[in-house]
Amino acid sequence: MIFTSSYLLSLTTFIYLGAAVLYLIAWVFRVEKVGLLGTFATGIGFLAQTAGILLRWVESYQMGYGHAPLSNLYESLVFFSWMTILVYLFLEFRLKNRVIGVFSTPFASLAMAYASFSPNVHDEIQPLIPALKSNWLIAHVVTCFLGYSSFAIACGMGLMYLMKSKDYTTGLLSRLPSQKNLDELMHQTIFFGFLWLSVGIITGAVWANEAWGTYWSWDPKETWSLITWFVYAIALHARFVRGWMGKKIAYLSIIGFISVIFTYFGVNFLLSGLHSYGAPR
Amino acid sequence: MTIPTSSHPVSGNSKKPFWHILTSVRLAISLFILLAITSIIGTLIPQGESLHLYLEKYGPSMFQVIKVARLHDMYNSWWFIALLLLFAVNLVACTINRFPIISQLYKKDTSLQAVERLLKMPHSFVLSLPSAASFSKEDVNKILPAPVLSYDVENGRLFFKESGKWSYWGVYILHTSILIILAGALIGAIWGFKGQIMLAEGEKVSEAVERFTGKDFPLGFELYCEKFFVDFYDTGAPKEFRSDLVIFESGKEVLRKSIRVNEPLSYHGLTFYQSSYDAMPLITFTITSADGKKKVLSLPVSEKISWQEAGLSVGVMQFLPNIHGGQAAHVWIGDDGFPPEAIWFLKGAEKEFRRGNNIYKASITDVEQRYMTGLQVKKDPGVWVVWLGCAGMLLGFGVVFWVAHRRIWLWVGERNGRPTLILAGRTNKNNMQFERFFDEMEQKIRTMTGVKI
Repeated sequence: MIFTSSYLLSLTTFIYLGAAVLYLIAWVFRVEKVGLLGTFATGIGFLAQTAGILLRWVESYQMGYGHAPLSNLYESLVFFSWMTILVYLFLEFRLKNRVIGVFSTPFASLAMAYASFSPNVHDEIQPLIPALKSNWLIAHVVTCFLGYSSFAIACGMGLMYLMKSKDYTTGLLSRLPSQKNLDELMHQTIFFGFLWLSVGIITGAVWANEAWGTYWSWDPKETWSLITWFVYAIALHARFVRGWMGKKIAYLSIIGFISVIFTYFGVNFLLSGLHSYGAPR
Repeated sequence: MTIPTSSHPVSGNSKKPFWHILTSVRLAISLFILLAITSIIGTLIPQGESLHLYLEKYGPSMFQVIKVARLHDMYNSWWFIALLLLFAVNLVACTINRFPIISQLYKKDTSLQAVERLLKMPHSFVLSLPSAASFSKEDVNKILPAPVLSYDVENGRLFFKESGKWSYWGVYILHTSILIILAGALIGAIWGFKGQIMLAEGEKVSEAVERFTGKDFPLGFELYCEKFFVDFYDTGAPKEFRSDLVIFESGKEVLRKSIRVNEPLSYHGLTFYQSSYDAMPLITFTITSADGKKKVLSLPVSEKISWQEAGLSVGVMQFLPNIHGGQAAHVWIGDDGFPPEAIWFLKGAEKEFRRGNNIYKASITDVEQRYMTGLQVKKDPGVWVVWLGCAGMLLGFGVVFWVAHRRIWLWVGERNGRPTLILAGRTNKNNMQFERFFDEMEQKIRTMTGVKI
């Protein structure tokens, strides 16, 4: 029972939720050991999820379909969650600060909860339709989601920054990274996400050119990814050239992530186009 | 890092308001916002449908707005293209305008600094040494590997090292690459071609239909579809679409390839993509004349075939796949000098008809599916330019993101009558990473000199 991908993956939802709660407790009650437990839980969740994804890959071969688990809404949500945790763990390791976990693990847990429990999202393994049969599938999805996940975390940092700007010197908020550090981190995470979003758009263009003969066709998904690209381009230019810092960038980070969410879900649910295989059925 | 903006009167540009606007980042950001907002409109209003559908869906007044602003084909409308062009012009103008600034930044020698200035650097620390000789030239080389600039400064020696100064040009690589991508798109729009071909199995074409104008476009060779396959999974979802294509040049076979959705065929600058398919019935019609002559004719709907011996033509006007539980065709008969007539045939049921003095017996003996493959045809000489731009963009990102201009100053000398060492540094980006780098250097110096905090 334990060794089926869907069991492992739905288990992950709760592990990440638990990790989020642990990070929150560590933050609110200042118990370092609980924070360590949070990291431990996140690590375990990440391992379980990795195993789940790999197992799903194997299961698709057993069913005779044989493709990477990156082909529909369910699989993309799982991957988004996985990628977010990966980026977060990297940041935690680099910064030695667990407070960002309070604002990152919930995104991963929410994505998993939505994937596992929404009646709109079907978790059965489906065969690949001809349009998706390409080596570009993995490159395109991985790069796009590296971008999305970075933006999710940058959005979390934006929220932290805005909370911090209340300027309490004591209490909860003093345990957040300093505003100066948060500002720089947010900027770097946005730039990192921007880089990967660009790579994602480029790999998508190369793929589209191979499958349909046009590298750009103003399909809603493409257009919305470009809109998202513009929002983050504004944030980067405003900072590089006009010297915008802090609050304004934090707001842009949040607006940018709303645009990411719309690119990801809104387009699938509300608009139709070439990316309709990502849509709920 | 903040790059000085164009408001700096570098070359007296502030006197030209038009140029000033063109080179402003304010314009760039406004264009980002405008392009983003207008792009949203294009995703909300379906694109490229026929005009009367918009009238039905949006009503007459909204329809006028759509028609005038070309919102039904927004991304090709003059004003959206104009926005993109303005974006390109803004990018070129910014590039030209900032060239002297970046060039200055690149050329500027900042190696020589007064001791007081070192102490005001974003990163600096001061260490009292046991004696002036306790930090030798070799020690300096351990901290700052050669080549190092050095000067005599205020009772001491100043050493300087920098890296990544060229990264100021990274943003140029990025911006130029965007211009290259736009240029590639323009080349494709001017010299490219997009068209469609519907090709039945066993047939040849030498022309494609241009997508927007509907005009014929000569391929310069013949394309033959030998076979089309469609395969489904057990779930009913399509598994594979495949066309076996052969290219003939002046009657000779020159190339043979099976194409699938992600595997197109390229020949002489044209690329053929599997894009759709259609299945149509091929109706086999058997006619027997009164003197016992028999003819089997196979033809699709709305085509006509002659039986020359009898001087008679037969055409299928309409086909019904399921009527009264069977297949039926409305068959046209004529071309023999008598008034043409149309008769309904049910598959398998023989019928008699009379043309002058001749009596014929006829029936539909077979109906099979005949596939037509839908091919997308493309010629885009700009696509490699676009890829070049994309590669440049990635390179530019790499430089802008990872390469920082780092500067380190190390001063060893006498200050306030005591032997002192000062380490100072600054970077134009990735400050936190630099901080760690700087702290490591500080630790190294402390270990080397044996001075604990």
